[in-house]
Amino acid sequence: MVTKSSPALTFCSRSEVVIVEVKPTADARDTEYRPRCLSPATSRSVTLTMGGFYSYFKSLFGEKELRILILGLDGAGKTTILYRLQVGEVVTTIPTIGFNVEQVTYKNIKFQVWDLGGQTSIRPYWRCYYSNTDAVVYVIDSVDRERMGIAKDELMYMLKEEELNGAILTILANKQDVEGCMNVTEIHQALGLDSLKNRTFQIFKTSAKKGIGLDEAMDWLCNTLQNHK
Amino acid sequence: MTDSKYFTTTKKGEIFELKSELNSDKKEKKREAVKKVIASMTVGKDVSALFPDVVNCMQTDNLELKKLVYLYLMNYAKSNPDMAIMAVNTFVKDCEDPNPLIRALAVRTMGCIRVEKITEYLCEPLRKCLRDEDPYVRKTAAVCVAKLYDINAQLVDDQGFLEQLKELLSDSNPMVVANAVAALSEMNEASITGSPLIEMNSQTINKLLTALNECTEWGQVFILDSLANYSPKDDREAQSICERITPRLAHANAAVVLSAIKVLMKLMEMLPTDSDFVTTLTKKLAPPLVTLLSTEPEVQYVALRNINLIVQKRPDILKHEMKVFFVKYNDPIYVKLEKLDIMIRLASQANIAQVLSELKEYATEVDVDFVRKAVRAIGRCAIKVEQSAERCVSTLLDLIQTKVNYVVQEAIVVIKDIFRKYPNKYESIISLLCENLDTLDEPEARASMIWIIGEYAERIDNADELLESFLEGFHDENTQVQLQLLTAIVKLFLKRPTDTQELVQQVLSLATQDSDNPDLRDRGFIYWRLLSTDPGAAKDVVLAEKPLISEETDLLEPTLLDELVCHISSLASVYHKPPNAFVEGRPGLRKSLPARNENTSASNVPQAAVIPAPQESLIGDLLSMDLTTPAVVPTSVQPPSVDLLASGLDSLLTTSDLPAASSSNTGLLGDIFGFTPTPVSYSPPKQLWLPSENGKGLEIMGTFSRKNGQISMDMTLKNKAMQPMSGFAIQLNKNSFGLTPARPLQVLNPLLPTASYETSLSLATTGLVQRMEPITNLQVAIKNNIDVLYYACIIPMNVFFIEDGQMDKRVFLKTWKDIPAENEVQFTLKNVLCNTEAIVLKMSQNNVFTIAKRHVEGQDMLYQSLKLTNGNWVLNELKIQPGNPNITLSLKLLAMEVAQGVFQAYDAILHS
Repeated sequence: MVTKSSPALTFCSRSEVVIVEVKPTADARDTEYRPRCLSPATSRSVTLTMGGFYSYFKSLFGEKELRILILGLDGAGKTTILYRLQVGEVVTTIPTIGFNVEQVTYKNIKFQVWDLGGQTSIRPYWRCYYSNTDAVVYVIDSVDRERMGIAKDELMYMLKEEELNGAILTILANKQDVEGCMNVTEIHQALGLDSLKNRTFQIFKTSAKKGIGLDEAMDWLCNTLQNHK
Repeated sequence: MTDSKYFTTTKKGEIFELKSELNSDKKEKKREAVKKVIASMTVGKDVSALFPDVVNCMQTDNLELKKLVYLYLMNYAKSNPDMAIMAVNTFVKDCEDPNPLIRALAVRTMGCIRVEKITEYLCEPLRKCLRDEDPYVRKTAAVCVAKLYDINAQLVDDQGFLEQLKELLSDSNPMVVANAVAALSEMNEASITGSPLIEMNSQTINKLLTALNECTEWGQVFILDSLANYSPKDDREAQSICERITPRLAHANAAVVLSAIKVLMKLMEMLPTDSDFVTTLTKKLAPPLVTLLSTEPEVQYVALRNINLIVQKRPDILKHEMKVFFVKYNDPIYVKLEKLDIMIRLASQANIAQVLSELKEYATEVDVDFVRKAVRAIGRCAIKVEQSAERCVSTLLDLIQTKVNYVVQEAIVVIKDIFRKYPNKYESIISLLCENLDTLDEPEARASMIWIIGEYAERIDNADELLESFLEGFHDENTQVQLQLLTAIVKLFLKRPTDTQELVQQVLSLATQDSDNPDLRDRGFIYWRLLSTDPGAAKDVVLAEKPLISEETDLLEPTLLDELVCHISSLASVYHKPPNAFVEGRPGLRKSLPARNENTSASNVPQAAVIPAPQESLIGDLLSMDLTTPAVVPTSVQPPSVDLLASGLDSLLTTSDLPAASSSNTGLLGDIFGFTPTPVSYSPPKQLWLPSENGKGLEIMGTFSRKNGQISMDMTLKNKAMQPMSGFAIQLNKNSFGLTPARPLQVLNPLLPTASYETSLSLATTGLVQRMEPITNLQVAIKNNIDVLYYACIIPMNVFFIEDGQMDKRVFLKTWKDIPAENEVQFTLKNVLCNTEAIVLKMSQNNVFTIAKRHVEGQDMLYQSLKLTNGNWVLNELKIQPGNPNITLSLKLLAMEVAQGVFQAYDAILHS
């Protein structure tokens, strides 16, 4: 059974999710490797009912790694999040001068996750990594009220890039375990997310240290990615 | 249609293709792409535009891919210094990789990336790698420290890498030790301060010696090289190091052998020369050197250049090995020439017969350079080994008979030296030489021939004709030939003055009037003046006995040789130049041989006599004049060859101030330069007269002195103000002796801030007189653009003692009696350490004249007189007891006021 791709399809899994219309993806750049998009409803029923299609599905995603960028200001917790996702533990990290790239498998989906250093001197080079990106995970240090403005500017500046037009945005309000941190609504406002048009995005509260919220974020990411195209 | 189409292309090009392949998801495709990039890079295409894409391939499990990416980074990090920062994290991670190969690879690549911006991030990983559990990583990290030092020396110091490197010297793994040593020596050489960063001590040396036996051959070279830089504390330590190094001489690698020889050569300097150990060691050094000569020609050449140094330093080592230096027909020319050089150095009475027959053979070869050198070598042998001189000369004559142009010319050059070495022995061959006069076309040969003719002019009947024939083309000759010709003709004239006057006149005018070469003109004028002043003196100078020439030639200067011995087995030893002569930028540490211990005498060191270069020896006859014999300077300037004067030397002579009679033993030169010893009169050291705080920034230090009958005020003016000073003038207040400036004050105008100026103001005693208290007090006013400044100073009395203060003996006696007893003052001069003669001399230099000297009851009595500028006489009596430093001074004088001043003058002069 083959389903037609439905480009304007939106998918809502949670009540607080802000649903934004996804623009039709007529991207020619990666038609070759992109999995053909299935209607989520159909695909779910397929996976539930027919084992054969599950493997077909798996093979579709298994072939191709999805490319995720983890960005954010220095000290936001990007590297910690990366290794939390990869090995499931908190590792001690040093400031990333450069980048880390790891393969992360989540729910049988393979991701190639790029964690780029957030220091001022490195931020200009983020753009070298934008092409072919499926999703951007933007990590915010919820405690760092002072630099929220900078975080916002960097985010907006990044989203202007043409190469990221099709990328899904996940914002992680990290360090929620620290007392006195900003809550999700505050951050939502501080970042001026309301002004975002034509962007599928979601904001989550997380604590990479305690392992809170990451699964939800990844679940949403996986689902959205599957439905996106 | 315009031509713009040529500039627009739809093709994206290779770089674009590679870029997309590098970003491919498929690992296989990525790897292929990186390989393509590296291939392009290797053939010289610029693929630096792919930097970010290649860097993104850096984090991979694939070792092959990683190596390629690292290779790319080493090449292009410099052209993308900003972007290179993106690689840092990967290095950091790779330095913690479980695979030691990757850790080492990462640390090595880091060292090769010379980007200032990222060096600081690489220190931490480097520190870890220096402590790595795997020796391969440690040894790679050790080298990396040296590389880092080259980029940023301060960082190495600050991060404590030196200490870590020092620890590696005692590493359990010999390769790590070797690399640490190599890194340290390199850093020592590059050291900015010029002093070694780490001093070796005997413990580290011990560790190095242990590691020496276990590490690879190149590691051994590093260790040996650094051992060569170590100075053992005594000869026992030196000997023990020698013993442990000696087995290295048997190594198959030539570099190891040469490095070992370097260390041994250096340490042998510290050992007593006559010890058994040194004798055995000397014997042991020969075989490895000989073995080096059986290798390929290039290595042979390097070995020969080093042997050349070794033979000069220690001829004993190879004295029995002459045969290996015999030239083989198929040796390349550079090996041949070098071997020839060493053959001459090794030539001795024992082997001269063999050497000579070889050299004769070589002189018939085809290669011109080689033949020349061979002919020269024969001459050298003649000079070096006296017993062989005769055979050498006959060999040379045989060669001259061949009439081969360049052989003849070389032969004549060396025969000239043989004549100098063995005078009056082989002159019979001169006629044979003269036959070849026309064929000589090289300056050196012509100059040599001319020298021979001039030197033996009295034995060559037609010497004047021969020299005249050269004179025709005088101006076209080389300077060397011109100088020789000038000297030779002057010699001829001195030997046969009757019929060669015209010739000498001609050459002198050619040299002085028609030549613009300063050397030639100078020599011409000197000869001319000598000849016109006194032909006898000219004979003494021009035909003086020449010093013997030394036997060894082309020897390196001993200090240079010692330095080069320390550089055996390096490029310096091949060039025979110290490294700083050809390595740019690095001053480096000058290496020198260790000082020999005091128990061995310096006379054991072979005294290498340095021969002046040929050109110098040609003009040597001028320099050989003997300065110690008193030259005869004529009392009346009336030379016999007066006709020479006519042509323009008159002026030279009349303006000259030859003393009428000279008894000075400085001889001719002394007279020419006109120096006469001047007696030193006492002048007290400069005192601070006007401190800058009183002088509005002007500081004056000064003293008084008496020179040539003139009192002068010597001052140093220093401007300590912030502004320039100008318009200086001086005025003296009325004073006891009527001192007044004889001329205006001369000061640098303007005197800039911080500048100082020394000036001497002549004073006359014609001013107004007013008695001062004390009598020697002088008040001075100095004016400049800032203010008028006043100060007072004390004049030492002795500047008023005038030159004609010597009283007639009888007048003295009479005056002494006439002056009443109440006008006698007595003082005691304390701690005078001069004897009577010295006192007389010192006082007379200051215009105090001794009239009489008596010896009464074991005491010396001196009677002296002096006269002041105002005409007052002072008569003095000195009572000197031998062994008693205190002298009684009695003054008899009419003007009692000056007594104190005279006493002080005595006191100061006798204590000066």
